[in-house]
Amino acid sequence: MDKAYQKKVLILALYAGELMMKNGAEIYRVEDTIVRICKACRIPYVECFATGTGIFLSLDKGGTDDDVYTFIKRIHSTSTDLMKISQINDFSRRFSSTDLSVEEGMDILRNIDQQKPYPKSIRFLGAGLVGLAFCFMFGGGWKECLLSLFVVLGTHFISGVIGRLQFNQFIRIFLSCSFATVASILLSYAIPGILISPMIIASVTIFLPGVSITNSARDLLSGQTLAGMAKATEAMIIAVAIAVGVGLVLQLWQISGGVL
Amino acid sequence: MMDFPLILHFFVAFIGTLGFCLLFHVPLRHIVYASSGGGLGWITYVYLTGTGNSPVVACFLGAIVVSLVAEVFSRAGKEATTLFIIPGIIPLVPGAPLYYTMREILDGDFSSAASMGAQVLFMAGSIAIAILMSASVTRLLVAVKNNLSANRS
Repeated sequence: MDKAYQKKVLILALYAGELMMKNGAEIYRVEDTIVRICKACRIPYVECFATGTGIFLSLDKGGTDDDVYTFIKRIHSTSTDLMKISQINDFSRRFSSTDLSVEEGMDILRNIDQQKPYPKSIRFLGAGLVGLAFCFMFGGGWKECLLSLFVVLGTHFISGVIGRLQFNQFIRIFLSCSFATVASILLSYAIPGILISPMIIASVTIFLPGVSITNSARDLLSGQTLAGMAKATEAMIIAVAIAVGVGLVLQLWQISGGVL
Repeated sequence: MMDFPLILHFFVAFIGTLGFCLLFHVPLRHIVYASSGGGLGWITYVYLTGTGNSPVVACFLGAIVVSLVAEVFSRAGKEATTLFIIPGIIPLVPGAPLYYTMREILDGDFSSAASMGAQVLFMAGSIAIAILMSASVTRLLVAVKNNLSANRS
């Protein structure tokens, strides 16, 4: 039981926390997982503080000649991958109930980290289904639904391209929503008599801040007021990005003499 | 929206939520449950708005349904609740009112825009409160249950 062991536990716990946070878990769940992993490795003094953008972790074995280890981990990108959250949840439960070694734990986490989301074709299928269904739900007929399927596919593609260029979330959502609006307006000119509102609503649906609203509420309940408010603000900013992206294009269209 | 039968609304919302499950990488074995949660929440919303209730109340009760269904599924499958809530809540997130707020602003009708915008805010808030309430009720029930079984042994 030397200092190297403590450091390994620290790295393991931080790795698990980082994975959870990067894939859209709530902050209280991140803290909970980290503390549970450390306790399972028989480290009595664990303090963890996570915000939306970083994790601070201190641990101490409590002996007179043990040092306190503190580490700060900055989290940059976030996406939503519920499979990974489910697996890490499962892992932390298994890690604390059986005696897996720290090395085995690292291997399992690495495997989870390397998992890919559903293949691209499946994700495009998902986006298409979203377009089809939400267009119908918000008052589109069958023509609008079919067209909005293609608009959403295009929007999803554009969003992926902009995401790869390392722009921030606001710009990505803003540009994608503008694209969706332009595409809807052009289609409405090509095929007279179709409604553009259901199509635009359906195509911006894939950016709606459902994850932020959900996580914000659940974090606030768990006493994580800081993270909860940060997520609520994020939801607000996404909503503004969507509204501005759609509104700007509609306004420019009206100014340039187009009819909606 | 009431001119279609509720079962059709359920089916369509199911498809929409299924799309989100694919985007968010929900494990295959949970996709059907997560999507049916979304469908149930949406028909609650459609039924209530169709019978003349305010969208905010309908959204609140719809979100309550989604999160209670999610709590049940997550207890049954020993999974994180968010796995079922995140896809299921999306049909209720006020995307359409947000769009119509924008349209009203562009048309220069600011009083309509303000009332529509307030509706967006209240709907988002009501979703958050519904999630909070159902999660706390579940926690309370679990605590009571643990307490009872601890006393008995």
